[in-house]
Amino acid sequence: MEIISVKDVCKKYRIFFDKGSTLKERLLFRNRNSYEERVILKDINLSIEKGETIGLIGENGCGKSTLLKLMTKIIYPDTGSLIIRGKVSSLLELGAGFHPDMTGRENIYMNASIFGLSKAQIDMKIKSIIDFSELQDHIDNPVRTYSSGMYMRLAFSIAINVQAEILLIDEILAVGDTNFQKKCYNKLKELKKEKVTIILVSHDLGSVERLCNKVVWLNEGKIQEEGTAKKIINSYLQFMNEKQAINVESSISEQNKNQEKSSEKEILYNEAGEKIDRWGEQEIQILGVNMLDDKKNVKHHFNCGDGATINIEYKKNKDEENYVFGVGIQNNDGNSCFGVNTSIDGIEIKSIKSTGNVEFVIEELPFLEGAYFIDVAVHSVDGRAYDYAKKVYQFNVITAVKAEGIVNIKHEWIIN
Amino acid sequence: MFENIVELFSYKEMLVNLVRKELRTRYKGSVLGFLWTFINPLLQLIVYSLVFATIMRMNVKNYPMFLFVVLLPWIFFQNSVLISTGCIVGNKDLVKKVYFPREVLPIAVATSGLMNLLFGFVIVFPCIFIFHIKITYSILYLPIIILIEYILTLGFSILFACLNVYFRDLEHILGIFMMAWFYLTPVIYPVDLILPYIKYFYINPMTPIAIAFRDILYYGSSPDLLSLLITFIAGLLLLIFSYNVFKRLERNFAEEI
Repeated sequence: MEIISVKDVCKKYRIFFDKGSTLKERLLFRNRNSYEERVILKDINLSIEKGETIGLIGENGCGKSTLLKLMTKIIYPDTGSLIIRGKVSSLLELGAGFHPDMTGRENIYMNASIFGLSKAQIDMKIKSIIDFSELQDHIDNPVRTYSSGMYMRLAFSIAINVQAEILLIDEILAVGDTNFQKKCYNKLKELKKEKVTIILVSHDLGSVERLCNKVVWLNEGKIQEEGTAKKIINSYLQFMNEKQAINVESSISEQNKNQEKSSEKEILYNEAGEKIDRWGEQEIQILGVNMLDDKKNVKHHFNCGDGATINIEYKKNKDEENYVFGVGIQNNDGNSCFGVNTSIDGIEIKSIKSTGNVEFVIEELPFLEGAYFIDVAVHSVDGRAYDYAKKVYQFNVITAVKAEGIVNIKHEWIIN
Repeated sequence: MFENIVELFSYKEMLVNLVRKELRTRYKGSVLGFLWTFINPLLQLIVYSLVFATIMRMNVKNYPMFLFVVLLPWIFFQNSVLISTGCIVGNKDLVKKVYFPREVLPIAVATSGLMNLLFGFVIVFPCIFIFHIKITYSILYLPIIILIEYILTLGFSILFACLNVYFRDLEHILGIFMMAWFYLTPVIYPVDLILPYIKYFYINPMTPIAIAFRDILYYGSSPDLLSLLITFIAGLLLLIFSYNVFKRLERNFAEEI
């Protein structure tokens, strides 16, 4: 049975720049009433069946909370229709309507009646509410004497025990200590079994994945994707990572632009504009270092497992007997993650062109999330540096893999 | 409208709790607590009696009693309307975060005012015996007059509560306005003084109510039923009108405050 049906819902907010809300201001400064219309939700279509647990995810400001407020009838859509069949309990804010001078018990009656319960219904529920909140000893004290944790526990207990058919929860599961949180999750699971429809807004994707059988991803006021929790959360994470990458990319290229002129001939500065560590007589001079993706675009951001190429451009100022090219990668903490050179790999180079480039091709970047730096070097077989530059290039790895450490070791689990 | 009223009815427990909260927490923390419900009108009574019986020498027998039986209903009306006006804006947190029929808020204010009026009558009745006012069967009209005043008060409370969300000045304008209204209602003076202009005074719906309270509780005569009937109908129409305006404006409350 369809319990919530949202059809073509649009919602705009008027953002007034300087609104007069008093009569005088309205009369005197009519032209001050200029405003900007901001579209919060656009053409939302959603059908929710009874007993489903839906997760709403999306960036800040994408309209999740507005959609919840529409569902509770706190605000109304500009166009489109919203049909809700059943009693709604919303946990948009815990403890709204608590009076500090009234006791916990009085506040239970007050608060539960705001959700539309009758006295008889509350009488029936009061024991389970008090038990759930674990406030037996304090329930007859005024709420103002409660710690903030106790306050939240009481509020949550009421909201979750009011026997709603539809429960709307906005980012408030981080209540109380770990034990209480666990209890909340179990309660939600219990409600799920009782065929209560739950709609959950959260940035805690882990709990969304555990609780919800369906996830709706909102992006800039539209439904970007909806489907099974795992699938949507993955594509959402992917999207967020890429978005972060674009931010990183643009901020780095901004920095590079400022340096372009000074670094035409020599790399003396790294991306952050700091003077880099560099030594050697420059018989062979390193002109530039870049990291490319599979499509040969210069990039500063990679996903774990991407292919990449480190490209070193050089210029020969003086002929030498032998040449060794080396590449090292270190992480943000300064730990060397990997270092290798042509000599270690058994490649002998007796002659090079007067100008050219060396490509270091990485099939799969194994690194976990973080910032990494590239060192490059040209030196002789016996280790005399022609040109040695540390931290000449920075790249970031962003990944959905949550494992700890530096590298992602390919693995599988076999449980016997 | 019918659906709305059914829904409102299912929130009656909230109404009861709000009224209880209003009555219990208003004077919380003060030494005299709930006693202020009685002391407040008594102090007003003393001030007005001093001014109008002793200084202005209003020629009325038992002036304090004459004043008291109308002053209480007036305070009920005035306080309910004034407090209701700010009640939606004042309950911002609730209105923005929880769904419930918003009219519960002004109705609760008016109803707790009504409760205060009833508590006030607890003092009035002993006074009636002390001042030997003859009680006739007309006392049976009292609940009807209180009901008519309640309907009228609800009408104004609901109307001003929703308008104030859009024009916040209303709260302040209303303070002065109420003072004028008080003097234009025969509360502190007998109707005889305004007899030449009485028809203008009847535009004010509080006039027949004030006169009726005084007829029953001070003169011991029966009230003028026709003017009460007209007031009742006017009050009912006002209430229906206010309720519809409220329901229409209610949709944008959460965005406006």
